[in-house]
Amino acid sequence: MEIEVTQEKLSKALAVVSRVAASARTTLPILSNVLIRAEGNKVSLTATNLDMAVVEYVPVISAKDGVITVPARLLSEFVGNLPKGEKISIKTDGIKVKISADNYRSTINGVVADDFPELPEIDEKEAVKYEIGVDEFKVRLSEVIVAVSNDTTRPALTGVYFNTDGGNLYVAATDGYRLAENKIISGVSSEVKAIVPANSLQEVLRSLSDDMEKIEILFDEAQVRFRMGEIEITSKLIDGTFPDYRALIPKETEIELVLDKSELIRITKMAAVFSREVNQSIVCEIDAEKSVFIVSSILNEVGENRSEISVKAEKSGKVKVDSRYLMTAFNALEEPMVRFGMSAKIGPVLIRNEKSNDYRHLVMPLDI
Amino acid sequence: MFDVWKNVLADIEQSVPHTIYITFFTPTKLISIENQVVKIGTPNVFVVRQLRGKYNKNVIAALQKNGVDFKEVEYIVESSTKIKKKSSGREVLEKDVKTASSVVKSLPSKLPEKHAKILGTGLNPNYTLDSFVVGSNNDLAVSIAKNVIKNPGSKYNPFFLYGGPGLGKTHLVQAIGNEIIKLHPEIKVLYTPTNHFFSEFIELIKKNRGDEFAQKYRKLDVLIIDDFQQIINKDRSQEEFFNIFNDLHQANKQIIVTSDRLPEQIEKLDVRLSSRLTWGSGAIDLQMPTFEDKCAILRSMAEIGGYEIEDEAIAYLAENVKTNIRDLEGQLHRLIAIAELRNKTPLEIINDSSIGEVVVLSRAKGGAIQPRKIVEKVAKAYGLTVEEMTSKSRVSHIKNARQVAMYLLQEEANLSTNKIASEVGVKDHSTVMHGIRKIKKDLKLDFGLREQISSIRGSLYD
Repeated sequence: MEIEVTQEKLSKALAVVSRVAASARTTLPILSNVLIRAEGNKVSLTATNLDMAVVEYVPVISAKDGVITVPARLLSEFVGNLPKGEKISIKTDGIKVKISADNYRSTINGVVADDFPELPEIDEKEAVKYEIGVDEFKVRLSEVIVAVSNDTTRPALTGVYFNTDGGNLYVAATDGYRLAENKIISGVSSEVKAIVPANSLQEVLRSLSDDMEKIEILFDEAQVRFRMGEIEITSKLIDGTFPDYRALIPKETEIELVLDKSELIRITKMAAVFSREVNQSIVCEIDAEKSVFIVSSILNEVGENRSEISVKAEKSGKVKVDSRYLMTAFNALEEPMVRFGMSAKIGPVLIRNEKSNDYRHLVMPLDI
Repeated sequence: MFDVWKNVLADIEQSVPHTIYITFFTPTKLISIENQVVKIGTPNVFVVRQLRGKYNKNVIAALQKNGVDFKEVEYIVESSTKIKKKSSGREVLEKDVKTASSVVKSLPSKLPEKHAKILGTGLNPNYTLDSFVVGSNNDLAVSIAKNVIKNPGSKYNPFFLYGGPGLGKTHLVQAIGNEIIKLHPEIKVLYTPTNHFFSEFIELIKKNRGDEFAQKYRKLDVLIIDDFQQIINKDRSQEEFFNIFNDLHQANKQIIVTSDRLPEQIEKLDVRLSSRLTWGSGAIDLQMPTFEDKCAILRSMAEIGGYEIEDEAIAYLAENVKTNIRDLEGQLHRLIAIAELRNKTPLEIINDSSIGEVVVLSRAKGGAIQPRKIVEKVAKAYGLTVEEMTSKSRVSHIKNARQVAMYLLQEEANLSTNKIASEVGVKDHSTVMHGIRKIKKDLKLDFGLREQISSIRGSLYD
């Protein structure tokens, strides 16, 4: 194998690929290697941790067929330190990989590619396919992924649930105490119900760059593939049942207020200062008679905090919630005004953008 | 059988590098050997790919060496033994292997013919008669439905079905349509909500293609019109419907109409049409199910959904949801969802005072009915004042109203007979018991009374 490539192109590709390889388990050392394959003037870099795999195609100046694996981090760091604009040549001699630029040379001991795991294939014709703009995907998925659980004893909640309902594709995540849902594509004709590991999605999000326009998502029974620009990320799906979360989201809440997001964030933060030792719990209250929305917290023997916003409301209500969950929800919203919905009895808080209904974030109440 | 796998693994361990063995083989297990097919469970697609692509020969050799008789080896994705909580709290191993992340593909252009037919009929194939739970509240409607399915267009034509929202009207008539197609594939069925019917008509009239509309509908063998109370007050539209109705009826084509009220209660409905609607079957109603019916419905829903739910939890829902079946289903799904979310059983959620009542059942619980409200509503429905109704008068219609009030006070407010006696101004509990017994008996036969009670009941929860 012999490849000629510019430093920028190779370094950028290695940055994406080596992230997956570097996190490989230790039981199989070859997983920390990157597979370099040159075939018909096309060069690809591949890495996998057996939960997911990434393949990236690198534009090269010239290439002669061949395949080898090299420790990903070593290669990535060496290439990253070479001066920009340098032309790099990679040449194999048995399992010795010689990498050279103008005045820099190094030799890395590779491992034959035979031992590298084969990657699962996806039948393009049978798979369910979706396409979405990269910017939209990035924003909408990030708003939901914040609610993913990290409790590994309940695997189904450690992923994001891609599901279709009424011809729209939704993503949803919950950790049992809050729940976020977003519509990512409207008007789809094929159906899907699949839980994608949050780790894999984080990797997809990190791999997105400004020059990409569309992302293609392919599902089959056991895996999902994200294709964007020159990068392809394939991940296993989580085998499990996601809770029937739609039943939990109230269609309307008894009380609904439209509030300024920055003001809401400010008073929530202030209340949180006084709730550090009580599980960050704060009380949101609506007093219809006095026409105020109150956020308060009490820290025994230290002091208390109370902030008010004047509002118009028909009913009064009170709920105790975890301030961190509220903050996450507020920060995920795009619009400057927030629709804050709560119950007159003790019920969940429903947070939405003022205008768009696509994103819904539900925060469960704490016991009073 | 499963000991074999241990031996097979031991042999494989000898034939592959240790790291490979640890990574790809230790998480596998033998699922079954049936019809000479060996099924091996693996944690994910990556492992499947390695086993199938690279180590299949090692697996085959080891199986042969251990004397397993087989022709084929299949590798499937299945997470290691799942543990699922049973209602009793026991932990049991789930035996059936299924991948819960399922991918269903449905591209309309590629649908098989059978489905395409269902699409053209406006019917949703998910509504079947099997999934419709029969109880005392709807047995008459169901038996007529069965008759209509067997002989469409004969005895009960038109079939007029009415009842409050969420009691299963749409489910039942859709099921009739689906079953008719199954039984008589040559029959042309069309299901249409009333507002679609009229907007289609108006659309075509605008384009001067009114004839097309008439032709389309006159070709049908079975016409199902849902939510007829939405009929609009446009002479020409009603006239057109009246004509289609007459033509179909005279040609012995089946017509099925649903509504949330009786024809004469639909405002501005032409009298000629109103009387014709109840020609065939009379007006058949769907009632709010009784407690036992509600339990049966919940059990059936739970079975369809594959939920684990305790009998006590079912009883709790049946007792507390008093509006309609749709809400019953909604509350069940909600309870199950919270239970799954919190990793508890449904009953634990209900008993957990901090979540159960307030979150799960806020709506259902919200409407605890005041006895006074029942008395007022009954009096109003019978055109009496509360004083008149609770007087000692023995005039029959006043007495009747009083008995209805007793019945509803027991059913809806769960009052003791002594309490009921004082609410309606009778002297003791035995009079109350007699009154309630009488209403219960009359309800079986008297459709007018059923209608009356169900409309009062509806007004209680408005």
